[in-house]
Amino acid sequence: MTDHPPPHRAELSLTLVVTLGAGVGLVVGALTASFVLAIFALNDWLLISPRARMMFEHRGWLAAVTVVVPMLGGLVVGLLHRFIAEGRAHGPPDVIAAVQTSRGRLPLHPGLLSALSSLVSLGSGASVGQYGPLVHMGGTLGSLGARLLRAGRADGNIAIACGVAAAIATAFKAPLAGILFAHEVVLRHFALRAFAPVAAAAIAGYVMEDLVFERPPLFHVAAAEILHRWEYLVFLAMGAAGALVAAAYLRAVLGAARLAPRTRIPALLRPAAAGAVLGTAALWVPDILGIGAETLRFATIAGAIPPPELALILVAKLLATALCLGFGFSGGVFSPALLIGALFGALCGNAVALLTGGVQATMVVYAVAGMVAVTAPVIGAPMATLLIVFELTGSYSLTTAALASVALANLTGARVFGRSLFDVQLRRRGLDLSAGRSRALLQGQPIAPLVQPAPVTLPPGMSNADAIDLLGRRGRAEGYLVDADGGYRGTVTLAALEARRGQGDGAAEDAAEPARPVVTADSSLWMAVDQARNLTGEALPVVERGGRRLVGVLPEVALSRAHVETLDAVRREEHGGG
Amino acid sequence: MGVEPVRRCPAGHWGRIGPRRVHGCLLLPALVLAMLFSPGPALLAAPNPVYMHQPDAPAAATGEPSVTASAGTAAPGAEPPVLTIATWGGAYEQAQRAALFEPFTARTGIEIRVAEYDGGLTELRARHADGGVTWDLVDMTMSDTLTACREGLLRPLPQDDLPPSPEGAPAHRDFIPGALTRCGIAHTAYATVIAYDRRAFPGIRPERVADLFDLERFPGRRALQEAPFGNLEWALHAYGVPTADLYRLLSTRRGLRLALAKLDAVAHQVTWWQDGATPARLLEHGEVVMASGYNGRFFAAMADRGAPIEILWDGQIQELENWTITAGSRHPAAALRFIRWATGTDALTRFARHLPYGPARRSASRRVAGHVGTGIDMQPHLPTHPSNDRNAIVKDVQWYARTHDRIRAIFRRWLRARAPTPVLRPDQ
Repeated sequence: MTDHPPPHRAELSLTLVVTLGAGVGLVVGALTASFVLAIFALNDWLLISPRARMMFEHRGWLAAVTVVVPMLGGLVVGLLHRFIAEGRAHGPPDVIAAVQTSRGRLPLHPGLLSALSSLVSLGSGASVGQYGPLVHMGGTLGSLGARLLRAGRADGNIAIACGVAAAIATAFKAPLAGILFAHEVVLRHFALRAFAPVAAAAIAGYVMEDLVFERPPLFHVAAAEILHRWEYLVFLAMGAAGALVAAAYLRAVLGAARLAPRTRIPALLRPAAAGAVLGTAALWVPDILGIGAETLRFATIAGAIPPPELALILVAKLLATALCLGFGFSGGVFSPALLIGALFGALCGNAVALLTGGVQATMVVYAVAGMVAVTAPVIGAPMATLLIVFELTGSYSLTTAALASVALANLTGARVFGRSLFDVQLRRRGLDLSAGRSRALLQGQPIAPLVQPAPVTLPPGMSNADAIDLLGRRGRAEGYLVDADGGYRGTVTLAALEARRGQGDGAAEDAAEPARPVVTADSSLWMAVDQARNLTGEALPVVERGGRRLVGVLPEVALSRAHVETLDAVRREEHGGG
Repeated sequence: MGVEPVRRCPAGHWGRIGPRRVHGCLLLPALVLAMLFSPGPALLAAPNPVYMHQPDAPAAATGEPSVTASAGTAAPGAEPPVLTIATWGGAYEQAQRAALFEPFTARTGIEIRVAEYDGGLTELRARHADGGVTWDLVDMTMSDTLTACREGLLRPLPQDDLPPSPEGAPAHRDFIPGALTRCGIAHTAYATVIAYDRRAFPGIRPERVADLFDLERFPGRRALQEAPFGNLEWALHAYGVPTADLYRLLSTRRGLRLALAKLDAVAHQVTWWQDGATPARLLEHGEVVMASGYNGRFFAAMADRGAPIEILWDGQIQELENWTITAGSRHPAAALRFIRWATGTDALTRFARHLPYGPARRSASRRVAGHVGTGIDMQPHLPTHPSNDRNAIVKDVQWYARTHDRIRAIFRRWLRARAPTPVLRPDQ
């Protein structure tokens, strides 16, 4: 992460950016569709999918297979993760971090390993999502494309967003949702310069999927009607309640991640242990295995799952996902959230039917409203989630129900735990996106290149008169007191020295400014700007980290210029018209 | 037989012929000599590929009966074999007799005897086990074909030498996808459909599969097959499950339970049928108001007898029907000859003019015209016609091939538990 692309490299021509977007879209589209098909094939082959399990003729072995497959899958995943520096798979948070801090590139090697390990995870039935890995794979390939064209970091960001958009567009067969997801979650702005290539990528991915692969839509809803107008109020309330379910889900995921190291199971074996537990639990609750598309469908059918079982599966799926993700399986949070949300929605539908004395509620509408209410706060993308519903179902009345439930979901979610799981994860890694992009950028930029050698250094014991004399000769208004060991002892200004001139001939040290702020050499621009708020003089003294040695000074002029330039770059990128 | 090798091994081209070709060129005349000196039975017992080089192969491509070719069918002096074909009876068998069996016999002199067959593998398994297989060919559903092939009940068939379409498209491209499997050559796509009595519901008519289970809007008895196939699919589809998801959901305990619950609700109004001719008859006589059955049988009742039957194409379940040769067949070569001829474009077209089953060859589908008896345009009655095909369920033959016995057992258990109800029915 140290090799930053130069910030002001020339922008690519708009034609080239759009072409890059389309190219990235085609490649990502092909890979995404293959990835999804490969998961299906692995699930069939490894007896994870119900159809394969039903067709398996050696019934006696089925239970053993159910436990062993996720366990062995976990072992492979553990091994793969040893080759990634962080010891974990990369995912959407890494994509967001790369774009938001304008480090602008996603490394290829861990990207490929992460895609592979998530394929193994999903293939062997771990309770994780498939879209997170796809988003990361798309972003990584987009970044690769940008590097091949030697693009600057703003264009690098756009290329990453292109890959993400194409991945979502292909996986859900939903180009609009892909475009919106890339803007809402990854770029977090709506510049025209970004829109054109991102749209091209989404369409290219969608077309590629349509041309080459014959895949049924992931979730098809034939028809759905909202029977009563008052149901919209229920959907609104479901949004707020769904956010609480989402919060519980995220706390479980993060909690499991904290718990994992305390179990003393070596990191290599943690996924295998989780797999064994998952497989054993699946003997009683098979719905927790894999992506759970069948259970999702049942949740939309009134009476298919009795309410107590709905609640049981909801809790089991939530815990299973937390276990798998926390203990190192590689995958996303979206698909499990869809299922948890659908179960939650079905529970609400049952409750409404009970309260209204058996009014035949359209269960599929409640399931979809629940899905949206839980999923949107998890990924922090209300609009993209809404569009996914619209494009998957093609039903306008379902979309209005989803709109009602998403209205309060994200707001409540943000109040309870944060904008999204990704943002919470990044905050734990020290990147706070809650104050917006410019702060993240300033936090990501070190002050080192701006530090200059101190123009005047004075020994602390120098007499007041000598100090005034020295500063006068150098034409400076400030001097920095440095002792024999090179340690920083304070800053004196000409004004303070002059003020003490009449009071006998004290040491320069006595005139040192009491509250001059200091920054350490490894500080970010953000910290320096923060410190500079209390600065009355010319520059911030910069000392080495963990010591007192004076490294140099950070002149206020340089600091404020860097600050303005960074904000300016953000503004240009976010409002770029082409 | 001698013509081919001579044409293939012209003296002037030795230089361009590789060692393998030389080997083949020597082998073929040798085989011809061997055949000339060993009479008929040797030819009929010969492995299939040799048989494929029979001189009537080009004639089979056009499907036109060729009088000259029939002379070469069996070696001189041999009695032509009698082929036993197990097939489905009723209007279906009559159409096959008229369109396929009789023309084939006329053309080749090979007699065809028809055996009754109602689907399933029980009888074939039993006969195979005690070595008493008398059937040469069986007209089998795709799922049964796959199962029987895996169990070794059938003979693997060569596919690389099937005749091309009249336009010259090679067979593997003329046949619809999935038509050629290891032990079967598909000939028609038949559909299991729901049909209803036009007189039964004045003012309204059933439009969706769900209406089969709606006793309030569409009261009256139903005739359903006494088998899981069709019933389970429709029952689950009636909940709003998309056709593509049916078999994945039927693979779970929950899905089976749901489907059987839906059937439970109508079971007291169901007459269970076994023979494919029954449902059309029950509808025709007004004994039931809705029935499941094969589209061709319903069509025959409408076209031949003017029965007031309408087919509900929503949720039709398509499957391919295959020609297969039993592993114990005594006349595999003649049987293969029949298959090659009966799956040619002309034979398939001719059959579809008797009964509206979709031909397995594209070239034949395009040629299907009027019904032989009434001149009714057959195209809109084919299951594969676009307006009938909008919400079709494609039978998951692999799934059935692996699970049929278990699913059937579950279904039978359920049916036994329901058994008292129909008996109580008259007292209600």
